[in-house]
Formats: sequence, C-alpha cells, structure tokens
Amino acid sequence: MALIDNITEQVIKVPLTETTKEGVLKELLQLLTATGKVQDETAALNALLERESRGSTGLENGVAIPHAKTDAVAGVLVAIGIAPQGIDFEAHDGQPSKAFFLILAPSDQSSAHIEALSEIARMTRSAAFLRTLIGSENPKEVVELIRD
Amino acid sequence: MKGPIERIMVYIDGSEESLIACEYAVLLARAVSAELLATYVVNTRALNELVKARIFLSEEEAEYSRDMEEDAKRYLDHAVRTGAQKGVTIEPIRTAGSVHQELNRIIEERKVDLLVLGELAHVRSRRDEFYNEAERAMRSVHCSVLIVKDEERVEDLFELD
Repeated sequence: MALIDNITEQVIKVPLTETTKEGVLKELLQLLTATGKVQDETAALNALLERESRGSTGLENGVAIPHAKTDAVAGVLVAIGIAPQGIDFEAHDGQPSKAFFLILAPSDQSSAHIEALSEIARMTRSAAFLRTLIGSENPKEVVELIRD
Repeated sequence: MKGPIERIMVYIDGSEESLIACEYAVLLARAVSAELLATYVVNTRALNELVKARIFLSEEEAEYSRDMEEDAKRYLDHAVRTGAQKGVTIEPIRTAGSVHQELNRIIEERKVDLLVLGELAHVRSRRDEFYNEAERAMRSVHCSVLIVKDEERVEDLFELD
C-alpha cells in the first residue's frame, strides 16, 4: 500500500497545539490511536522517545520526521502536524520545526517503512511544497496538497 | 507450441498486497504451466537516501539493512511455501538496489513474460508516479504487467482450489 493511502484528514493536525518535542509526539500519536490502529500507545511513544534520544529527527528547513519501529502497530502509520509558529525540535540546522511527519512501523515491515520515509524525504525536498504545506489552514488542504 | 506466458515473476515487498499477488501468481503459473520466480529487492537505494538526508543515523542504517535482509528471507520463504501448497516450484530471488531497476534487470536477464504486482494505491497522485516503487516498476518494465486486485476473491480461489 502506498503512503498516500494512509494519509487522511483524520491523521492530520493543523495547527498543532503542543509546543514541546514530547508534546508534539504525543499529540500526533493520539491522532493515530484514535484511528484504532495503535494497539499500545505507551509502547509506541516509548519507541519514538527512544529514537529521539539517539539523535533528533528534526531535519532542516522546518521539517521533522520522527519515526520508530514498534510492534504496537500492525502496519505503516503516518500522522502529519503543522506548527506555523515553529517548535524547538532540536533540528540539525538549529531552526524551529514547522512540518512534522510521524511514522510508525512494525519490525517485520522494514521495506514499507523505508519506502514511506523515502517518499516523505523526497516530497519535502521541494521548497514550494513545503511553503504550501506550512501555509495550509486545515487538514483538507494538506490532503489535497499531498494528493496533487 | 509455446504459450504466451512461459515465465512469471511476482514482486514481493512484504506487504499484504504482494502476498496476495503471490497466491494469484501461483494459481496462474500452475494453470498455464509457467515457471514462477519471486523477487524481493532490499531497497538499499532508499536506505542510502535516508542516510544522506540525515533522516537515519548510521547505526540505524545498519539496523534497517539487517531488518530488510531478514524480511527478504522471511517473505521469500513464505512465497516458496505458498507455491509448495499448490505443487508449484517458486524460484526465490533476493537482490539489492533500486527496486524498479532491479526488477527491470531480472526481467531482461531471465526473459520474464509477465510481472505480477500487488494492488497499487487507491488514490492516484502525480507524486506516486515518481515515488512509489511498484508504480515505477509497472510503468518502466518491458514485459506485460498484471495487477492483482480483489483480495477476498484471490484468497477464496487459493483456499478452494
């Protein structure tokens, strides 16, 4: 299944209300939990925090891609959050992160996990795409942009 | 006289859709007496891109590389067992690199007549044409391509046959 099939308005938050790294992870994770596809939210959060402890997933140009392997999920799950004001995610370039793509995958689906991360990495290379994404006012606009 | 389909290849990536495609390919191979290959590509190109983009730490690269090798073995073994259930011998092929390029290479080298893929995304995006590996393979290979849909029907066919 392609990544795009997993991206629905239900798993997108615009704008994010939390303002800390852990808060953002929890807020995005709750979107996924609400879909009924996360069997153990605590285990999933711990996997995300453990990954962050090894090095921030805050990249450059306002993008963060928190990700983790966890058997708390049965398939690859993606949640998206937008914080136009920016959040300190300890990004590589020291700048606040504004677009968050959270990815969870079970340990036996590494190819699908890598393909999903790769798709997001390619999408976010486009400055025009990122500008429009961060300027989105609601989940519907995000879905339309990604499906464009 | 040779038939139009002598050698079939099914692409396995571990997704449910690809495993259903494998079941269909087994039934098809038996029906037309074709050879059947099952290919899993360890997507090292994507892995390298993720390291370059600093999404992966170097330790993660090694970890995911091991995971993908284990996945390759697990899913190819599963494919071989699926074939054996119906008396069809499947030749497992594990390779590494860019998925669509590797599929193209094997199709050329092994003179594959038909590539069998699992169902693609329900939503079509312009981006998918460039990013989704199965879509890229579908568009770029030189042989005919069969996209397996209707999971329930295929499972019923496989169970009842």
